[in-house]
Amino acid sequence: MAFLTSHELERYDRQIRIAEIGKRGQEKLKKARVFIAGAGGLGSPISIYLAAAGVGAIRIVDRDRVDASNLNRQILHWNDDIGRAKADSARAKLARLNPATRMEAICDTISPENVAQLVAGFDLIVDAMDNFPARYLLNKTAIEKKIPFFHGAVHGFEGRAMTVIPGKTACLRCMYRGPIPEETFPVIGVAPGVIGSIQATEVIKWIVGIGALLENRMMVYDGLAMRFTEFRIQKNPGCDHCADTSGKG
Amino acid sequence: MGVQVHIHKTHRVSTDGKDVVQAEGNCVGECLEHLVKQYPGMKDVLFDKKGNLRNIIEIYLNHESAYPDELKKTVRDGDKIHLTFMLAGG
Repeated sequence: MAFLTSHELERYDRQIRIAEIGKRGQEKLKKARVFIAGAGGLGSPISIYLAAAGVGAIRIVDRDRVDASNLNRQILHWNDDIGRAKADSARAKLARLNPATRMEAICDTISPENVAQLVAGFDLIVDAMDNFPARYLLNKTAIEKKIPFFHGAVHGFEGRAMTVIPGKTACLRCMYRGPIPEETFPVIGVAPGVIGSIQATEVIKWIVGIGALLENRMMVYDGLAMRFTEFRIQKNPGCDHCADTSGKG
Repeated sequence: MGVQVHIHKTHRVSTDGKDVVQAEGNCVGECLEHLVKQYPGMKDVLFDKKGNLRNIIEIYLNHESAYPDELKKTVRDGDKIHLTFMLAGG
């Protein structure tokens, strides 16, 4: 177990005081290695909260450069960063937030050719992508590697989150009907703020081993109605990603 | 009494702004047919040119995914159908 220094005991005091976390939970967070796919609207709050919580290692991957139209929601990136690689911008901010987190930021496109290598050695995958092909690729990779996949997506004032535990729960692909055209989606910054925070909460709970995860549950957030709605998702025996994992279909 | 069909806010432009529409039928498909009869604009929202449910549309029956074969799922009076769509943004 990764023992905590006196500085860490002070820094994380308020969350160590949470009965479900305690010193042992904080040690688990320190030992954890988290892969975040995307340093945009969702990746920003996810990485900020996980670094602030004391996650030991974070690898964040994004292929894009900061654009002015990103700044309404991608709070890792500031006005001075326009034109800079998002990976570089993310690394700089997160390193200043928590120098103790081993921060690795990679400017690359996640593809079938490199995804296994990118996530190798990490405990889990967090979905902060902006398109379905990349999400499905990460979903499949998580199932193959038998590591959790924390899904999130946003549109307008709305968002959703679901946690996939390979061999146990439904996966993102279990409701797949066919390809969906790409779009330039509308979004207000607080929507990925809410959903990214839920994803980070799920990650912390899984690492520490506490609480009830969003297993077989799609949590849908409607910011305009200010309502959370939960939909149950069944594992699909014919799913081309997860059907064979449990051996039961 | 029929079934309550909950319309996603993006699609309410096709239902005169209504968030819930009453529909009747023995299965989800029949209820959607009745919905389209009342609000013809919902046809293009839900179905492609071949009449197949669009890939992006999700249907939940009593807060549970109706996938697969969504349109064939049996409904009873008082059931709730939620029509949503898959979100891509991040």
